[in-house]
Amino acid sequence: MTMDALDTFWSVYSNLVLTLGTNALLALSIYLTLSCGMLAMANAAFMGLGAYAAALLTMQANAPFGVALLAGMAVPSLAALLIGKPTLRLSGVYLAMATLAFGEVVRIFILNTQDWTGGALGLNGIPQATEWWHVLLAVLLVCLLLERMRRARVGRAFEAIREDETAANLMGVDVTKYKLLAFVLGAAIAGLAGALNAHLTFFIGPNEYGFDRGVEILTMTILGGINGLLGPVLGSCIITLLPELLRGLQDYRMVANGLILVGIVLFLPRGIWDPVRLRALLRRAPR
Amino acid sequence: MLELQQQLFNALSLGCVYALFALGFTLVFGVLGVVNLSHGAVFMVGAYAALTAINQLHLPLWAALLCACLVSGVVGLIIDVLVLRTLRQRNVPHLIPMIATIGIGISLNALAQGLFGAENQRFPSDLLPQDALEISGLHVTELELGIILLSFVLMTVLLLALKKTQAGRALRAIAESPRAAALLGINVQGLFMLTSFVAAALGGLAGVLIGLYSNALFPLMGQPVMHKGIAVIILGGMGDIRGAMLAGLFLGFAEVLSVAYIGSTMRDAVAFGLLFAVLLIRPRGLFGSVRERTV
Amino acid sequence: MTIHRTCFYRRSSPRTLARGLGLALLFGGATMALAGDIKIGVAEALSGGAAQYGASIRNGLALAADEINAAGGINGDNMVLVVEDEQGKKEEAINAFKKLIFQDRVLMLFGPTLSNSAQAADPIAQASKTVVFGTSNTADGITSIGTYVFRNSVTEADVLPTTIATAVKHAKIQRVAVLYGNDDVFTKSGYDNFKKALDALKLPVTTTETFAKGDVDFKAQLTKIKATNPDAIVLSALIAEGAPIMVQARQLGLKVPFIGGNGMNSVKVFDLAKGASDGLWVGSPWSLQNHSKENTRFVVAFTQKFAVAPDQFAAQSYDALHIAAAALQKIKRSGDIAKDRAALRDALPGVQWTGATGAFSFRQTSDKNGHPAGYDAVQAPIISVTRGTSYDIVK
Repeated sequence: MTMDALDTFWSVYSNLVLTLGTNALLALSIYLTLSCGMLAMANAAFMGLGAYAAALLTMQANAPFGVALLAGMAVPSLAALLIGKPTLRLSGVYLAMATLAFGEVVRIFILNTQDWTGGALGLNGIPQATEWWHVLLAVLLVCLLLERMRRARVGRAFEAIREDETAANLMGVDVTKYKLLAFVLGAAIAGLAGALNAHLTFFIGPNEYGFDRGVEILTMTILGGINGLLGPVLGSCIITLLPELLRGLQDYRMVANGLILVGIVLFLPRGIWDPVRLRALLRRAPR
Repeated sequence: MLELQQQLFNALSLGCVYALFALGFTLVFGVLGVVNLSHGAVFMVGAYAALTAINQLHLPLWAALLCACLVSGVVGLIIDVLVLRTLRQRNVPHLIPMIATIGIGISLNALAQGLFGAENQRFPSDLLPQDALEISGLHVTELELGIILLSFVLMTVLLLALKKTQAGRALRAIAESPRAAALLGINVQGLFMLTSFVAAALGGLAGVLIGLYSNALFPLMGQPVMHKGIAVIILGGMGDIRGAMLAGLFLGFAEVLSVAYIGSTMRDAVAFGLLFAVLLIRPRGLFGSVRERTV
Repeated sequence: MTIHRTCFYRRSSPRTLARGLGLALLFGGATMALAGDIKIGVAEALSGGAAQYGASIRNGLALAADEINAAGGINGDNMVLVVEDEQGKKEEAINAFKKLIFQDRVLMLFGPTLSNSAQAADPIAQASKTVVFGTSNTADGITSIGTYVFRNSVTEADVLPTTIATAVKHAKIQRVAVLYGNDDVFTKSGYDNFKKALDALKLPVTTTETFAKGDVDFKAQLTKIKATNPDAIVLSALIAEGAPIMVQARQLGLKVPFIGGNGMNSVKVFDLAKGASDGLWVGSPWSLQNHSKENTRFVVAFTQKFAVAPDQFAAQSYDALHIAAAALQKIKRSGDIAKDRAALRDALPGVQWTGATGAFSFRQTSDKNGHPAGYDAVQAPIISVTRGTSYDIVK
């Protein structure tokens, strides 16, 4: 009986579960740059670059899935390297806007190179190569990597830069190098998420990696909080599941979605996963 | 030659359309320090408010415009009082209010769709003469002339208000540093509320005018305009009124001329490429003089 | 009578719950599917950017379901529509399909609304051997997915050549300018088909201009087009941009006729482009002015039920459910869902039906390797041109 129920559950919700995984990766990629004090909004574009690179390889060159995934990480990393140097001089909202603009540039580039990217018509018929263990492995590996980094010198350097960039510079921390590292690594993770997602849904198009997606990823991360790795993962779960949970509300589902977002921001501004607040809560709890 | 003249006029009217939206948008950033991503929704609210005023209440156009300003202004005020003020009091990281405005925008758009339906609507065609006037070979509509006039007037009024009036000076002080302004005895909260109201009212006004211009009212109508608006305020310097106007015009000219002489497929590439370049070379914006606030 | 919606019940006292249920049953708002009922899945965009089309499609299906059930259903059993909102997003379309196929265990499903979503979600139906019937998907690469994919939406490739040829003949057109939306699958693929048809007719193109979804101002492109002096403008756009384009063209003094694709075939053009809507040529499998017996009956019934005139999307979905019902009448349902789905798939291709959109039959296509795949529509397009407030049919 339970095997049957499990089977049905998986048939209905497999896509949702795997999307939880790829969204978690995306949230983690922005978390990485945020932990370094940068609001880089280009990750949706990097996701798109990774998705297209991987899909084109499997579709045109019949490349094995592993190779496609690697390409999906390499291409955005390269792009990040190229635009990183000049853009990372900016800070705060300006960096955010510059990276948003880059995202639009990528989208327009895809629209205008119809011959090999399919342009507005997108890429159709991508082999469905992503298995659940690919996604699980990717999430676990990325979490492991980020946790190791947090505890190592790299992590401390990130925190120093986030707290006060000038001071960190004066203390001898190579600010440019570390910011570039966070940016490029974030791009690679976003690209991986893109590549996995592309091989999940048969079809990708340029309009999926624009402003809306960038805003969605940011929301996931901020919602969950950047006080630890669990935050982005939690935030991505909530944002991904919210439309499903609210399905019954029909037309007014998006109203509830927006209001919930505002509610969480108002009442949990440091994000949902906030170890400090939770500890305080537990201390206050009776017995 | 005639084609070039017409294109130049097209650029002027398009640029003023962009500037109209950007004025309110940049005002909120300059004074409140928030990138208000619900401005697109407020813009839409104004358009629908005017439509309801005209269709249900049978008001004339000027009254509907006022109605739109009022309704949008109140919505902006409510957003400030309920959400933004609470966040200000808590001293949250500066990205959080932006996320809150995203949520508000989503809710407003969805609410509008529930109330008015997703279909495109338009203002009644007898409100304004639809035919164009022909002035020495140029095809010009009264609406376009109105939009151009109004945007310049609004910009001038705003600039004068900021420079000459007491409230304006107080606002500029707040834009420099809210904490210092509060210490000086300025009613910071009250002025924040005023700014939110005025900015939203401007957004609503822009909504009606652009709704009349495009003949297309739909719940998500604020989104594409907002994307362009973001580009405009970055180009012009975020928080800078004159910058918003000049950058709006600049973007209008860049878009129209690239369609006319490079090719319409490259239009958005040119616009965003320019934006990217400006950000790299001169992040303050082409015309801006406002620095990002640190305290 | 029965549109089964997934309900969202708050926890409440037993009395209010009972009262609520009673009211719901009374108004027929939410009913449970009974044992003999036939469950038909509907996954359409009921929110988001494509909501106006999705709502139209759902209404057409609802009307057809009511008619069929009122006439005794399928051999005595009621048809129940299980409706899910796929929001016009491909991920949601996939989720909606999976829910309908595996959880609700529908016999077949209609949708999704957009071609993009179909390209992502139809493979799921194919893999699970459930018939998916698109009523609004016109792009390439959909029916070639497999043998369980059907659609009755005539593709632009079949309609546009006839539209252009008719317009050219009647309006004496010798050169055209082209304007299309280059960031949307529908308008872009419409352009590709227009281009093929123009090349085949050897019609010279004076200039090709593009715009993006959400644009409000088209004067730059239209001024450029005017300077090249075409006899007509070929326009691949949806009404949201298409109507303003027509208005602004007339304001610029550009009075030539427009030749439009599927997206421009909507009575909304008379409202949105009031005063500027004359001279628009469209080809479509359906026209409000078509006074055939079936269409008249459909239009009257639709207008009565929904208080608004139907559009092409409603007409096609209405016919689609009737076509599916015709196939369902022929098969013997055993209760084994997999067998029934397969039986339906085998019975569907042979259906011939004359409905609101006229005489209809299926034509099998092949996939990219040349093997037989899904089924496209065979239907003659009707060419009309706008005059005043209606589309006048042109023979």
